[in-house]
Amino acid sequence: MCLFHRSRREFLKGAGALAAVSTLPVSMVELVFADPGQNFTFAYISDSHIQHIAGKNFVRNWDRGLIRAVAETNLLNPKPDFVVFGGDLAQLGTKEELDHGAEMLARLARPYRCVMGEHDYYLDLGEYWSELFGPHHYSWDHKGVHFVTLNSILTYDDWTHKRWPTAQQRMLEMAGLDNPNGSPFMIGDAQRAWLRKDLEAVSKNTPVVVFSHSPIQKIYKGWNFWTEDAEEVQALLKPFDSVTVVYGHVHQIQYNQIDRISFHAVMATAWPWPYPETYAQAKPHMPKLTVPMNRADPFFERDATGWQLIDLDTGRVAMSYNLYNNTNRKVAYNRETGRPEDAAYQSPDKRIPPQSHY
Amino acid sequence: MLKKIAGAVVVVTALAGIAVGLSSRADEFTAEDLKRWEGEYMSVVKIGRELWTSPTLGTNGVACAQCHPNGANTHPETYPKFQQQLGRVIALREMINWCLQNPLEGKPLEAGDARMVAIEAYLAYERRGVPMAPGKH
Amino acid sequence: MRRIWIGLVFAVAVVSLAAAAGERAPAPSSPLGLPPVPFPDDNPQSDEKVALGEKLFNDKRFSSTGTVSCGTCHAAEKAFTDGPLRVSEGIRKLTGTRNAPTVVNAAYFRTLFWDGRSPSLEDQALHPFLNPVEMGLEDHQPILDIVRSDSDYAQRFQAVFGKKGNAITMREVTQAIAAFERTKVAGNSAFDRYWFENDTSALTPAQQRGFELFVNQGRCVSCHRVEQTQALFTDQRFHNVGVGINAIQDGVPALAGEFLRAKATLSEVDIKVLTDKRTSELGRFAVSRGFDDLGSFKTPTLRNVAVTAPYMHDGSLKTLRDVMIHYNNGGVTQAGDRVNDFLSGGIRPLNLTEAQIDDLVAFMEALTSPEFSRLAQGGGK
Repeated sequence: MCLFHRSRREFLKGAGALAAVSTLPVSMVELVFADPGQNFTFAYISDSHIQHIAGKNFVRNWDRGLIRAVAETNLLNPKPDFVVFGGDLAQLGTKEELDHGAEMLARLARPYRCVMGEHDYYLDLGEYWSELFGPHHYSWDHKGVHFVTLNSILTYDDWTHKRWPTAQQRMLEMAGLDNPNGSPFMIGDAQRAWLRKDLEAVSKNTPVVVFSHSPIQKIYKGWNFWTEDAEEVQALLKPFDSVTVVYGHVHQIQYNQIDRISFHAVMATAWPWPYPETYAQAKPHMPKLTVPMNRADPFFERDATGWQLIDLDTGRVAMSYNLYNNTNRKVAYNRETGRPEDAAYQSPDKRIPPQSHY
Repeated sequence: MLKKIAGAVVVVTALAGIAVGLSSRADEFTAEDLKRWEGEYMSVVKIGRELWTSPTLGTNGVACAQCHPNGANTHPETYPKFQQQLGRVIALREMINWCLQNPLEGKPLEAGDARMVAIEAYLAYERRGVPMAPGKH
Repeated sequence: MRRIWIGLVFAVAVVSLAAAAGERAPAPSSPLGLPPVPFPDDNPQSDEKVALGEKLFNDKRFSSTGTVSCGTCHAAEKAFTDGPLRVSEGIRKLTGTRNAPTVVNAAYFRTLFWDGRSPSLEDQALHPFLNPVEMGLEDHQPILDIVRSDSDYAQRFQAVFGKKGNAITMREVTQAIAAFERTKVAGNSAFDRYWFENDTSALTPAQQRGFELFVNQGRCVSCHRVEQTQALFTDQRFHNVGVGINAIQDGVPALAGEFLRAKATLSEVDIKVLTDKRTSELGRFAVSRGFDDLGSFKTPTLRNVAVTAPYMHDGSLKTLRDVMIHYNNGGVTQAGDRVNDFLSGGIRPLNLTEAQIDDLVAFMEALTSPEFSRLAQGGGK
């Protein structure tokens, strides 16, 4: 069931918001912005993990996830300004997988930009990906917001260039989430230097939104829910009044506030991952704010997968998770408490069993 | 005559008893035994881990670990339990077979297939320390 | 595989309401395989109310032409359906867009209609009267005029509700109809004896193989629920299984947008979905307005499915075999057709052989309750 909650509409009533005829209930796209001409939304699709079997056969389950996300985002009205693909288009980074994924993305009705994921990168270090999608990291400005896309799944040079005898082996080792032979993600010195320079030109009151595959936090190293130089990157972002990091990789709802930086994870279209605290032998640092997504029913292949619609409210992110076979979730920055909160379930007495019955 | 044979049997038995007593009694295992047997178990856990990450258990290249890193979210401590996807109360191995047939699009493991025990051993190992909660959804 | 014998549980499950001034009759114990019938607090059951409900159910005067009653499309002699009609015929043989579901076991449903737009049996009864292709009335007044003036009705409403004249409203009318419908529950099929009473002779070998497929390779049980102590054969949720929506696939964006702009009330939705085929294919989306529900329809119960052909929300699949082929293809009726983008994640190709399909069909034939078994013999597929 997919009824979005009306609470945000109530919150914005009388704020001169633009009412819009919409495929989604109107509350979803009422926007408040200092300059009404700057209202905008964008869609976020991530982690499709297109997996090649042989010949023309791909894992049907993951294909369906991406197909559905594209079809549904195409129904949005008013149309989002653009779409972001959050990384891990492919499962093992092969040309067949990237092509098959790109074919599906090409059906998007809006322009889209891509973020690099480790499953796209470690076979050929992003060479074919660049042919399809362009640079690995870049920035641009849109309606008064400064967007930065980082390649946050790099790792130590030794591991990348010297450790493995073949590129295939390297890709396979990085592909296992719980593989003890893996190596922690990072942005790295060079890219951080680029980021510092890029941000120098941006005034402190310009909203900044960063797209990253890895969390730019240290959540659980065993599953690489981790960015090794998270603190250094956060330090570059902290001076800004309004900054949000949107990240993929984790295949689950997470959100957090660290100083002035809001963090929002996006769902995968392919499959959900369990929360790290469900691994009995782990001691993860889960973002405390997070109200978990509902536990998935494995019979329904799309359960606990989905895509996101993000609207920028005075430079802050309000993220609507469009979940299949499940009640949608809305996590938005609350100006009073200064952190992202779930519109329905943030308070512990509002939780429902599927959110804790892991 | 019978008495003599019986007597001989008693003596032989007694001697055998002493002979056995000189090595060890059947129920006395040593610290080395424990260590060795734990190693026996861990060798099967290792096989279970290999199977868990193997793309060849099913037919589509998907591995169990893709959705269940370190066996998370399999809840071996809750079995037997009512499993909605099978309409009845089942043991863990039936759910493993369900996953082999569904997301992995493969064939179930036959009863007696050593690979099933290996997978169960691995899952239980990753879940060690968690109290039993049979029947929990 | 061991079965747990719980026949005793059902014997114990007799719900006995305290008789009060002859108003309430003891509720029947549930049939084998079914839980107790849920009765709403504000509509207690009684024999007189049930009889009144049956009379209302079959009264053709409640239509603009005097030719259509509830029983026209939900005929008792056809297990409360109107097979072999694909979609129902109302006044002047006008056709709608949807297949008439059976009333049998509807008492257990949390929502009514294929898209669940009605929350109760009482509410459901209000709508067909006003639908232009069903009973065709402008409003409920003609019904009220009849029940308030007809002497037999007057006497019955007085006895059941203690009301007469203008005190009789559609609330009483629909409560009586719902009370009648709540007596139409049927279990005790061959499958029930096999599963709940451990009677291994109750199913033929083909049917037993079919049940095993139903739970395993066929994947049916996740939506058509069977449990350890009861089997409703429905999860009461809404799923896009690829029937009908394929025909409007390319039109979905425009259709969905149009529909939302119209901002229809629920009554308007009722009329629109039954009179416009293309809107009908939106399914539950027309009620919930959620992307997730595009082309989704309620899982029907499979009890008595062998005698309630044809199948699916639009009656487009004639036989159970046709249904199995559709599912085996992974949600398309013609193998190789393109699967719709919004297909439920529970639907995929099943790789069943012809023999396995036969076994599944045989199993479904074992879900017929004894009271309808003569329909099965009559060739109702």
